[in-house]
Amino acid sequence: MVELGQGKSSHDSVGRGEQGGDSERYKGRYAILVSIGFLFFLALLGRLWFLQVIRGDEFWRVSTENIIRDIEISPARGRIFDTSGVTLADNRPSFDVYVVPLIFNEYSDQGTLEKLRGFLNLTPGELVRIEKGLERKVADLVVRRDITRSQVAQIEAHQLDLPGVEVRVNAHRYYPFHSVGAHTVGFLGEIGQVEQEELEKFGYRSGDYIGRMGLERAYESALRGSPGVDRVVVDAAGNRQGEAQTEFLIGEYQHVAPVAGRDLTTTLDIELMLIIEEAMRDKAAGSVVALDPRDGSVLALYSKPGFNPNSWTGRLSTQEKRRNDSDPYKPMIDKSVNSYFPGSVYKVVGSLAALEEGLMQRDDEAYCPGFYRFGGRRFRCWKRAGHGHTDVVEALAGSCDVYYYKAAEQLGIDKLAEYSYRFGFGEVTGIGINSESAGRVPTKEWHRKNSPDGYQYGFALNTVIGQGDTLVSPLQMALAYAAIANGGDLYYPRLLKSVSTRDGDVLFDYAPRRRKRIDFDPKHLEAIRQGLHDAVNIDGGTAYSVRLEDVIVAGKTGTAQVHKIGNVRVANENKEFRFRDHAWFASYAPYENPELVVIVFLKHGGHGGSDAAPVAMEIYRKYFDRDLSSSLTQRVSELAAARERIRVNRDRAGDHQEDQDPDVEHERYLPPIPDHDMGADMGAVFSDDSDMSFAPAEKEAGDE
Amino acid sequence: MNETRESSWVVRLVSAIDWPLVLIVSTLASVGVFNLYSASMAAGKSYHIAQAIAYLFGLSVALVMGLINRRVYERWSYVVYGGVVALLFLVMVVGTELNGSKRWLNLGVFLLQPSELLKIAVIMITARYFKDRESKEGSYSLLELGRLFGLVGLGVAFVLKQPDLGTSLAILAIFMTMVLFEGVKATSLVAMAAAAMFATPFVWVFGMKEYQKDRVITFLNLEEDQYGQAWQVRQSIIAFGSGRMWGKGHLEGTQIQKGFVPEFENDFAASTWAEEHGFIGMLFLLSLYMGLILWSLRISMRAQDRYGVHVGVGMAAFFFWHVLVNIGMVTGSLPVVGLPLPLMSYGRSNLMTIMLGVGLLLNASATRAGKTADR
Repeated sequence: MVELGQGKSSHDSVGRGEQGGDSERYKGRYAILVSIGFLFFLALLGRLWFLQVIRGDEFWRVSTENIIRDIEISPARGRIFDTSGVTLADNRPSFDVYVVPLIFNEYSDQGTLEKLRGFLNLTPGELVRIEKGLERKVADLVVRRDITRSQVAQIEAHQLDLPGVEVRVNAHRYYPFHSVGAHTVGFLGEIGQVEQEELEKFGYRSGDYIGRMGLERAYESALRGSPGVDRVVVDAAGNRQGEAQTEFLIGEYQHVAPVAGRDLTTTLDIELMLIIEEAMRDKAAGSVVALDPRDGSVLALYSKPGFNPNSWTGRLSTQEKRRNDSDPYKPMIDKSVNSYFPGSVYKVVGSLAALEEGLMQRDDEAYCPGFYRFGGRRFRCWKRAGHGHTDVVEALAGSCDVYYYKAAEQLGIDKLAEYSYRFGFGEVTGIGINSESAGRVPTKEWHRKNSPDGYQYGFALNTVIGQGDTLVSPLQMALAYAAIANGGDLYYPRLLKSVSTRDGDVLFDYAPRRRKRIDFDPKHLEAIRQGLHDAVNIDGGTAYSVRLEDVIVAGKTGTAQVHKIGNVRVANENKEFRFRDHAWFASYAPYENPELVVIVFLKHGGHGGSDAAPVAMEIYRKYFDRDLSSSLTQRVSELAAARERIRVNRDRAGDHQEDQDPDVEHERYLPPIPDHDMGADMGAVFSDDSDMSFAPAEKEAGDE
Repeated sequence: MNETRESSWVVRLVSAIDWPLVLIVSTLASVGVFNLYSASMAAGKSYHIAQAIAYLFGLSVALVMGLINRRVYERWSYVVYGGVVALLFLVMVVGTELNGSKRWLNLGVFLLQPSELLKIAVIMITARYFKDRESKEGSYSLLELGRLFGLVGLGVAFVLKQPDLGTSLAILAIFMTMVLFEGVKATSLVAMAAAAMFATPFVWVFGMKEYQKDRVITFLNLEEDQYGQAWQVRQSIIAFGSGRMWGKGHLEGTQIQKGFVPEFENDFAASTWAEEHGFIGMLFLLSLYMGLILWSLRISMRAQDRYGVHVGVGMAAFFFWHVLVNIGMVTGSLPVVGLPLPLMSYGRSNLMTIMLGVGLLLNASATRAGKTADR
């Protein structure tokens, strides 16, 4: 080949008059080059044919999917109203930070997350959560909800350094009355991972909020609503393209509007709840339940200490969480549905049992020398001097223990339990929110199983005065007293009035529901009512000193021991808090035509007459004083103004709001430190009030 | 008389230019600018304007080069090569670093990438080397090529050091094509192949940077990592495929316009073209390249001296390897090594390099028609 080329080249170069390019020398090599060139050219065309023609349609679809994103539009959560339409739970806009992992992973560098951490003060825990989320192939990931405006400004200003980080505006739950009614209304919390996986089929996504307490939790499915979808065109960085672009690229603009959650109208009366809040201002812990005895509507459920649902919904500072967890008053427990020793307020059960069973007549008297002898033991009456000759009315009014010891000895514990059940004790009321306690109505059977020494006859005597092992919730007590007030109708508690759409179309109406009619002889019921009346309104009644002038209240005081009485009597104020007595006052008013049942329960709060009854009286006084139409309007407008102030302050405070607000809130609702100077009132406590009853196993034989 | 002489001078000049070559190159450049318009729209920049200006400048340089006495290039080949190597040395010392590699000299107006110029310089010294030994009969042995290998190796070493694997490989491919075209003894060939095989693991362990290894690994298991290196290639493949037969239309490629394909103005310019103009568009584009390669070979075949022969082959190899590797890379058939598509990719150093090469081609072609102008 080479030789051949050489030979021809000389001829060529002569022809050109130059030293030749020796095209002949290379001739065959050009052919090889051209062949190789064509070969690869065809190979490339083959590859292109495969990609663009054979698999073209497939890739075309992929390219379409690339730019389409279905953005879920969260529905507005249903609102919660009080009985007259005042909003108890509302939505407000919040700025939430998201990360889109696809873009973040592609364009971020080492410093990106660090920058984000700096702007938002992310905790190590949050960082771990984000890093885990980035590994999973989720569409987006919530970094932080409800950031402050200055944080929004910072992130927007550094948008270029934060690829895949987006700030979106979402609705955030807002409770205008803060801690008032917090246990009943509830709050929201971010969904847990396990929970989210279980609820995925209902459309819950990671980062969603879910009701955690009260109505928010119980009516989650109604309040939540259903999300909508916005089909949009995005670029590679996830930026939404305009509507015109979208229409051009994917045809019609698809949008499915979300359906807002249902609004709940409750029977709660926010004004009454505020009155209660005020009346309970210097009490450490306890509960108040207010019912309408005519239909069982719950007007107020109050549990102290409260908590601020606004800080629980969203990011609760660890400091606040810790403070709540270690609080001995247990703020997160709804004390209105939790059960406690009832003390003397329970005596209505024994009274009715004795009358109905014919053991005592209306006018039958028992003699109270200050103690009752039973089985070689002395059961003391709280009044050492004794009540003398006492009939059922006087026994209730003066809370004579001896009268009930005598009745119980004849009734026995099981008969008492039977009447207790008739009042609805020992069973859940069915209010449907929070974890309601059924309480406990002890029977022989129960004692055989649970008491260390089995059943003893003396147990009936302790049970009848609300000691022993009886446990009752304030709500159960309220419904039982409502039945006494209305003449024997035991209602289911009615907390919801209606469920409606956001536009106000009522979907369900909740009518009052009677649970059962307690068939007592009206004469007997009247005797009980008389006793409750006299307890407040006749000199010598346990709550006589705190009676109201304008409103005739009927009620029963109760002081429940939670700790054995030792040899030395210690004044309540000097006991350790957890050993102090519970104070109760169960009542209704007006006496003739009852409209309101109020149960005041002060956990370790002292004495029924001097501590619990004044709270109830303040509530009645203010409740019946108010000029409904004018004061409510005024109150609501004041509240609106207060809300506006809070919002303005929030904006003004900017960054610091987040750190400061919870503290302020917390301080406001922190239970007051028990006041040891109360000792000055001790004399009054012992002489005037207090149906001090006895611990079950106390043996007094030595005194004899 | 005067008029005749003047007109004949113009005629001579005009006839000295290889107009078909200018036509093919200009067509490709126009397609490139048109395509860059699309990229500009997507990026909100004006690549097309800058590219068009650079092209017009490059074309005038090429035309002037075509008319200068060809012996000038021959004579200055080694000097030019030395200059380029000196620039590469400068890059090593005061170069601008971007994305972890030091490839550029900041000239104020624009960033010069001397490794691009090395491609032409290597073609020039190789052509000169063989021209100087045109009396030699038969194939070269390895020993006889030693000096040339040493010179080219020095330049390539600088480029590898930057590091720029793509450019290094392109230079070696062009160079080897030219050497093989000239003819290498069979025993030497075997020895070279053996050396290359033994060198591979050493290059892998000592010669390659992590990111270069990543690219190769990525290429080998493309489907496994959705969001890493392969994500870019995957998006490019989607761009190609979604163009289907006729393309989505000018400015309507969503993969490009919405920013899914990376570097759509640069190494991935073909994705832009393929998505918007489909298989037909690619067929047209590849045919233009094929025409350019064939025309370069034609110039080589008809060149009056060995220098022209080798410049023609060198430039044909230049176009061939760039097109093959680039299209292979953006269609996921070859690893991503970062090689631009001639006259389509945005980049002024690259465009100027090509136009200098076109100038050499014009010159090699003009030595026939305009031989009187030489004298």
